[in-house]
Amino acid sequence: MATVEREITIPATPAEVWPVLTQSDEVSVWFGADVELDVRPGGRGVFRWSDGTERHAVVEAVEPEHRLSFRWLPFQHTAGRDVEAIPSTRVEITLDEVAEGTRVRVVEQAAFAVRATAGAAPAPRWPVVRSAVDRRAAVRRSAPELAAIDA
Amino acid sequence: MRPDRTDAVFSALADPTRRQVIRALSEQGPSTATGLAANLPVTRQAVTKHLSALASAGLVTSSRRGREKLYQISPRPLTHAVSWMADLGARWDERLAALRDHVATSKGRR
Repeated sequence: MATVEREITIPATPAEVWPVLTQSDEVSVWFGADVELDVRPGGRGVFRWSDGTERHAVVEAVEPEHRLSFRWLPFQHTAGRDVEAIPSTRVEITLDEVAEGTRVRVVEQAAFAVRATAGAAPAPRWPVVRSAVDRRAAVRRSAPELAAIDA
Repeated sequence: MRPDRTDAVFSALADPTRRQVIRALSEQGPSTATGLAANLPVTRQAVTKHLSALASAGLVTSSRRGREKLYQISPRPLTHAVSWMADLGARWDERLAALRDHVATSKGRR
């Protein structure tokens, strides 16, 4: 439950995909929000959705044409300008050149899962949710009684 | 579910020992802190502390059993947290499809 992984292959080179992934006006076209992104380590990102929700991010790693990672700050502003706590997650986007073009892979992880990966202590495995279909299976693996509630 | 509630669930699960406690509870069924500590590499006192953190996030509930409390998993917040992650995945599906379409359109213009 702590990790979301998605990928897609785009018929273009990493050099063609990278600007679309990193330039604010380009990102705003596909992200689903109006985006201002300062693509350098420590750079800020501001994401504004049409419903008035605003979230902020901090850029962590930038490897041109290969990798971009950022961390969502653990709050969001709503249309009423209230501030709500949200789970802190980290997004890592990697580009790899493949025969058909560029494979774009996104991993979004809850912050604790990132810490567990980085730390020495082995953490219990949590199921990876790759699709809505996986959700039930993930719940079932987490605890049998969860599946009964979910059914 | 409200986002702040999901946040409380993720925060409670940030601790690896608390995840072990949840796992043990799901495997053993309703248990006392003593019963859980017997199968975990921590003291009963530590288990009790973790159980109250899990209870604050709504992940476990307790009832009296003699001098001890009997704890059990409250599955709904966990189900909601899994659902929150599934929604997150669905949003990335949409974004990546839009990214692919946008790259194709941009290439077509050149």
